[in-house]
Amino acid sequence: MNRILSAGFRLFLFTLIFAASPLLAQKSKPTKIKAAALQVEMIQSDEIKLPAEFQVALYENLIRQLEKNGFSRVYRDGDRNAASVADLVVLHSTVRGFKAGSERARQVTTVSGATSITVHCQFTSSDGTSLLEQDVNGKVRFFGGNLKATYDFAKKAARVANENFFTPGRE
Amino acid sequence: MTSRTTTVLVGVASFFAGLVIPVANAQRASGPVKVVQLTGLVGVKDNAKGTLSVENGQLHFVHGKASSDVSAASIQDIATAADSQRAIGGTIGLMSMAAPYGGGRVLSLFRTKIDTLTVQYRDADGGLHGAIFTMPVGTSEVIKKELVAQGAHSTSDKEPAAASAASSSTPNKEQKQ
Repeated sequence: MNRILSAGFRLFLFTLIFAASPLLAQKSKPTKIKAAALQVEMIQSDEIKLPAEFQVALYENLIRQLEKNGFSRVYRDGDRNAASVADLVVLHSTVRGFKAGSERARQVTTVSGATSITVHCQFTSSDGTSLLEQDVNGKVRFFGGNLKATYDFAKKAARVANENFFTPGRE
Repeated sequence: MTSRTTTVLVGVASFFAGLVIPVANAQRASGPVKVVQLTGLVGVKDNAKGTLSVENGQLHFVHGKASSDVSAASIQDIATAADSQRAIGGTIGLMSMAAPYGGGRVLSLFRTKIDTLTVQYRDADGGLHGAIFTMPVGTSEVIKKELVAQGAHSTSDKEPAAASAASSSTPNKEQKQ
């Protein structure tokens, strides 16, 4: 009888440990910052010479991916409607690194010709207080045109925004 | 003998015509130009094929039955660049990658030159948009000049080849090296 009780107690302990571990892990997650709306500023590339099509593709893909990731109110650079929004988060992006690469080299050699771009993303409140800063990179290694790197960057940047900000009513 | 000479003459004439006609087409001024809208126009899908023209102070893009207009006055910046794309693209180009003995890799060496046109404009609320088009060689500069003449702004007046270091978003485009 004692053996059965002991085995039952051990089983209970095991179950408790397995059930508690995800709960503990959730506690360690960073708290999300409230963002009623996001405003995306045009990509800046003062230090690095970035072709216009890359600049525009980064900006357009970023807006599209943020909208896809559940941010229902994404304002563009200069949008007057954003001025009256409370809890507005502004995303400033600055290009820190760029390697143009070559699609031909990728297709012919497979191993060379990768395109990569590194962008410093700074999320600020509307008064300019920095909320989050992070470098995000975009790459195209094997298949696709060079501009596909901008799509890769946008997906990663949207993921960063999704992990650190929440829209009231969405969660 | 006469027929042989005639054949040679026709052949030579065709050869020179083939060289001259594309140049003449590239320099053609106004009229709709066949383009691919890579991204950026409101209500138009990415990689949409259509025609682009400048009419009555508007950049006019027609895709099938739908059309999209951007006022030249709302354009803040226009940039042109030279680019290239795979001569054999699309599904056949993708399937060729699986060809034995590197046949697909050889095909990817054959490329055609294209121009890219990047336009930044503001909507009625002041929001900034960007649109990217690819088009036949020599046509982007013509469209840019027409837009500037009708009130569009351009911050850079560099030559297309000098300004280029990029590629387009479609899987078969590459920068000019």
